Amino acid sequence: MYIIEVCSGVRKEAIIKTVEPSDFALLTKKQYSFNWKSLKKSTTIYKLTIEGEKDILGVMALIDYPEEKRIEIKLLASSLENQGRKKKYERIAGCMIAFACDLAGKKYHEEACVSLVPKTTLLNHYKQKYYMAWNGRQLFLEYASLNKLLNEYFP
Amino acid sequence: MSYKKLRKRFTPEELVDGFVFPVKLTAKQKKEAAEQLAEARKKSRATMTDETKFSLRTHGIRSRITDALQEDTFNPEHTFGYFLKMYIELLEKKRKEFAAEISIEDTLLSQLINGHRFPPDYVAVRLELHSDNIIPATHWLKLVEKQRLHEVENDEEFRKREMPFVNHGEEPKKKTSKLVYRKPGKLKQERTSTHK
Repeated sequence: MYIIEVCSGVRKEAIIKTVEPSDFALLTKKQYSFNWKSLKKSTTIYKLTIEGEKDILGVMALIDYPEEKRIEIKLLASSLENQGRKKKYERIAGCMIAFACDLAGKKYHEEACVSLVPKTTLLNHYKQKYYMAWNGRQLFLEYASLNKLLNEYFP
Repeated sequence: MSYKKLRKRFTPEELVDGFVFPVKLTAKQKKEAAEQLAEARKKSRATMTDETKFSLRTHGIRSRITDALQEDTFNPEHTFGYFLKMYIELLEKKRKEFAAEISIEDTLLSQLINGHRFPPDYVAVRLELHSDNIIPATHWLKLVEKQRLHEVENDEEFRKREMPFVNHGEEPKKKTSKLVYRKPGKLKQERTSTHK
C-alpha cells in the first residue's frame, strides 16, 4: 500500500498500525482536526505513517460489529499538512479506508462489510471516490465494491 | 475543527479526500440503519459472483501472510504449509484437484502442506499466478525464508556438528560439508569427509 508525494510523484510505502498510548500527546485537535482521546475507549484508533518515518499522516477510528460482520469508520482525518489543495501526500484517506476493508476481509472473508455515516452534503463524493453504496442512512462497501477498493490499494 | 469551518476552507472533493466526519445518530436511527443495511446486504449477497468471492478470500489470506511476515518473532504455526492449506481450504478445493491446477504431484503438495519439504521457487510463482497475482510469489518465499532463518538461528546441534569444519588457520582439516535441507524443522547435514 502506498501514498504519493505530490511534488515529486514518488510512491512511498504506507504503514498502518494501532496508535500507542504515547501517540495521543501528538494527536492534537489543531493537527488532526478532532479530539481523538475522547474515542480511546469506544473505538480502535489507527495511524498511518511512511515506512521508516515517525510523522503521523492520518488517523482513523474504527468500530467492529462482529455480529454483523461489519467494521464502521467512525472518524478519519489527514494531518494538517495533508488537507486540501496544498497537501503533501495523496491517497492517505483512501489507504486508510482500504485498510479497514482489508481488516474486515481478514476477519469476515467474503461476508465483510465496511460502513460509515456521511455528512449529507458529501454523500455523492464518497460514493464516487470510494465506490460506496448508499442504503438510506449509511454508505457501505461489500462484495464487489469492497473487492474493487482492495484491488486498487493492494495491487 | 468543526465541519462548518472545514467546509468553508475546502471543497467537498477535498473533504472526502481527507476526512470522515462524526455524525451522531439516535438509538432509534442506529437500529433503523442496521436493519436497512442488513436488508441491502442480503439482496447484494445473492448477486455476488464466484470471481468476487475468490478474490475476497484470497485478499484475506494475503493479508494474513503479510501479518505473519511482520511478526517480530517466528510463530511455528505460521509456516508456508499452514497458509497453503488455508488457501486450498478457502477455495473449497480438494488437494488432488488443486495439485492438478498448479501442475504438481499430489505427493509434493502433501509434503509442502505437512512441512516435510520446502517449496521450489516455481511452486511459489505458480501460486502467485493461481491467485490472479493477489498473493505475490515473494510473500510465499518470505514465509519460507523466515522459517529457515529461525531454524538456523536456533539449531545448536547444527552448530556443534559444524564446529570440526572451522579453524582459524591453525591446522587445516581436509573436510568438506554439504548442507542439505531435507526436511523443514530438522536441518540435516550430508557430509563427505576425508579424515587422515
